[in-house]
Amino acid sequence: MHILLSWLEDFVEIKESPNELADALTMAGMAVDAVERDLGETIFEFDITSNRPDALNHLGMAREVAAIYRRSLRLPAADLHEQAIPASSRASVAIEDPHACARYVGRVFEDVRVEPSPDRIRRRLELCGVRSINNLADLTNYVLLEIGQPTHAFDLDKLAGQRIIVRRARSGETLRTLDGIPRELSPAHLAICDAERPVALAGVMGGAETEITDTTRNVLLEAAWFSPSVIRKASRHFKLHTEASHRFERGADWQAAPQAADRIGAMLHQSGRGSLLAGRIDCYPRRQPLDTVQLLREQVRQHLGIALEDSEIESILTALGFAPTPTSVGWQVPCLSSRLDVTRGIDLVEEVARIHGFSRIPSTLPAVGAAPAATANEREEERMRAGVRALGYDETIGFSFISSEDARRFGGAGAVELRNPLSRLWDVMRNSAVPTMLQSLQWNLRRNRAELRLAEFGRIYRRSAETYREPRILALGASGSARPATWSDRAPRFSFHDLKADVTALLSPYSCGPLRFDASGIPDYYDLGQSASVRGGERTLARFGRISRTIAGERKLRQPVWIAEIWLDEVYACGLAEPAHRPLPRVPAVSRDFSLLVPESVQYQRITEAAGTIQDVERTEAVEIYRGKNVPRGRYSLLFRVWWQRLDESLTDESVNSHAEKLLSRLASRLGIKLRA
Amino acid sequence: MSIEDKTRLPILGLMADGNTPEGLYESLREAFESEVGAASAAGLESLRNRWLGRRSGLLAAANENWLKAAPRELKPVVGRLQNALRRHSDAALKAAVKAAAAPARRTSEVDPTLPGPARPFGAVHPVRRALEDVLRIFRPLGYNVVEGPEIETFFYNFEALNFPPDHPAVDEMDTLFLKDGMLLRTHTSPCQVRVMESSQPPLRCVVHGKVYRNDTPDATHSPMFHQLEMFAVDETITFADLKGTLEHFVRNFFGPGTRARFRPSYFPFTEPSAEVDITCPFCSGSGCRICKHTGFIEVLGCGMIDPEVLRHSGLDPERYRGFAAGFGLDRFAMLKYGIDDILLMYQGDTRFLAQFR
Ligand SMILES: [Zn+2]
Repeated sequence: MHILLSWLEDFVEIKESPNELADALTMAGMAVDAVERDLGETIFEFDITSNRPDALNHLGMAREVAAIYRRSLRLPAADLHEQAIPASSRASVAIEDPHACARYVGRVFEDVRVEPSPDRIRRRLELCGVRSINNLADLTNYVLLEIGQPTHAFDLDKLAGQRIIVRRARSGETLRTLDGIPRELSPAHLAICDAERPVALAGVMGGAETEITDTTRNVLLEAAWFSPSVIRKASRHFKLHTEASHRFERGADWQAAPQAADRIGAMLHQSGRGSLLAGRIDCYPRRQPLDTVQLLREQVRQHLGIALEDSEIESILTALGFAPTPTSVGWQVPCLSSRLDVTRGIDLVEEVARIHGFSRIPSTLPAVGAAPAATANEREEERMRAGVRALGYDETIGFSFISSEDARRFGGAGAVELRNPLSRLWDVMRNSAVPTMLQSLQWNLRRNRAELRLAEFGRIYRRSAETYREPRILALGASGSARPATWSDRAPRFSFHDLKADVTALLSPYSCGPLRFDASGIPDYYDLGQSASVRGGERTLARFGRISRTIAGERKLRQPVWIAEIWLDEVYACGLAEPAHRPLPRVPAVSRDFSLLVPESVQYQRITEAAGTIQDVERTEAVEIYRGKNVPRGRYSLLFRVWWQRLDESLTDESVNSHAEKLLSRLASRLGIKLRA
Repeated sequence: MSIEDKTRLPILGLMADGNTPEGLYESLREAFESEVGAASAAGLESLRNRWLGRRSGLLAAANENWLKAAPRELKPVVGRLQNALRRHSDAALKAAVKAAAAPARRTSEVDPTLPGPARPFGAVHPVRRALEDVLRIFRPLGYNVVEGPEIETFFYNFEALNFPPDHPAVDEMDTLFLKDGMLLRTHTSPCQVRVMESSQPPLRCVVHGKVYRNDTPDATHSPMFHQLEMFAVDETITFADLKGTLEHFVRNFFGPGTRARFRPSYFPFTEPSAEVDITCPFCSGSGCRICKHTGFIEVLGCGMIDPEVLRHSGLDPERYRGFAAGFGLDRFAMLKYGIDDILLMYQGDTRFLAQFR
């Protein structure tokens, strides 16, 4: 909003430079965005918060200046020179919906001459960004910018029956507004009507049919008070944001309506372009009572942490237009119709604080509260993040929105749909972190970044029955080599087992029990031949694998990409394992290697389980796996290393031999594994 | 003439050819020095015999043919020269032998400037980094860390926070709604109410997490971003405490020279409300493009918790007061690390992320 320095000076003395004034107003809560000069005038560009409609005009802003510097305020004059004929003899006003329109003030002007406004008025309007139209329309805009009350001038002779009826529009009624656009009205909208039809959209915009024209002779001026919510609905419905609607929806001052009507009447008379009939038509069916609030001296101190002098408090309130009456504990302060934001003692505390100056309130630190409780899963989360970081995954954050198509494909049913989505590609909350991770992988691959390790700690969103759940998830994305190639080493491609190793490492600090990996329950966006789910006890902790060729093809991923989904709530629920020390053996372990021919149907885990049943086995290793020449069809060759260990004594050759024999016979009988010749 | 030949000739003959005794001994010394410098460790012993051998050494020959053969008047001079050279060669040889016995410094077999196989740590996202920095400041002051649901009710997001019904303040939030009337929280403030409902003061809390606005993405707007809110509720909390706490915070986050400026503003859930500007971290307040030459940058909103919010949360506003402050973590990260496009935060571009390893 633009405010002109010279216009402010009509109402308050200003000794400060424009920049000093701008700073002072900003520090009192009237934020000046810019100070400009144009046509020899200083223009302040304000950004006024939505609770202060009273400051959206020059008089209101002058009142702030007067309060800051404690100077006196000169109110705009309204010297009325009325004709003998009463206005009520020429026009009448009725309000059918007093809730939506609490007051409607009318004034009648006769024998007006419609012509361009004098230069002084045109210039002020234009500097404030308002187009000059004619002297009548300009006067309404001038007074709007001066004291904040929106008004409207009708061509009285075009009002059927010379009547104004403020009522809800009827279904099917239409109105061509001043911008020339026909509007379909409904009972949701408040209309200003004449005896036959709507002639204005109340508080938003007038109608074209009753507009002031060069031939207008007689004028009915409207100054009314409309309910903010009614105006807001209409303004939103028609996407019509006007100077009038902007003020009404923030709350106008019903006591300003007669003032505005009088001010316009006085100015018109002064210009000699029309005569003012006697009296206002003041239709005022709903008077809104104003409370008196109590401001406690103690309240000011308790909120601000500083004791202000009574005289300072009284002087601030008075300068702002309040009329405080002292009591033994503070003041009784009647509310103002111009300040609908001030209804409680605390609101007055704020007024006192901002005019006194926030910078004059001291800075203290409150006592430290009780020792903070640990955040839920804080340690578990810290550990997981440290692991992800150590493994070299770069942390990403993806948007929580995905397309409903991706939601069906990657998350199944139960996606949370948005009523007003930003776009069709973002119409649901993600129920899987996979599409977001795929996007990030794709983004990088398209930019020739082929070595990727990405991790996202986030949430997914699900609807179940009547509630929403937002489970935490860790998504890993990997592509490229298992480790970077160097000048001495070629790097192997990233594989299933590389990802398995990372997932295992990340899960290892938690008490989830032994991890079980199998290929059951894998959704088909994974390559079912190269993926697994991970269970610990009863919990499903994660699933991971290579993204299917179909998905990779659709998204034009030109190299294999791998994804892991780790259900953090499940993992964290297991808790972190507390380390427990076991004594170290006194003698080193001994190992034996076995070259085995294993049927293809036997998974490695069954071999280690069988080895686990043999006495003194400390650990086992798969040293090498080979398929091909000299290995019979249907089998693979496994070089299997077993370490034996007793805590207190060395194992003799005889006992190792006997353990080895037992192992081989178990492998043979249970799993059909033969020793390679 | 070789050194050997020279030492075999009598001194008078050499002098007749124009040599002086000093010149003769100087030429011997030069020959000795160059042989010692070139000798290997093994060669040093034979060098000793060649020069200092008692009978056939070069110095013995000089003793015989130059000193002993010198006429009487030259003897003191030649004798002094002979002795000086003997002492010098003896000491020099001993030093050379000692140096040869010390182990040689091995030269490098690797090229230390070649890279090893890279094993970089993963990046910590700038938003997370900023969050951790903030928590490091507030935890020692006794603040608990809380996260709340992102899918919220209209009540917690607006009504409980004292948004007037049908007021432009609600529109300003550009809310994203779900089909059943629930919404995506537009700020972290609903969590204030949730915490106050479930726990009794004194309270010191930090709430953080994702928030959403129906904003078209551009360099300064993102429909999803991260907010952090801190609040304290107690019997004696004042606006002065709010000022002190935030001044402490911005100094620790942006640097010790950072000053905070409190401007009155409006939020439905605080009264009095303020916006906080800090001295521009890019120009230290002298004015630059980023602060639009004002020297200040607006970074957060704050205020005393409105008594209505306390009441909605089941606390007695006659007894308790509180303050609250909230800000965008993305914006803090952008200011701290000089990031000029918020959308970089959500693309997962490793060229960006790698700068935060
Ligand atoms: Zn700057």
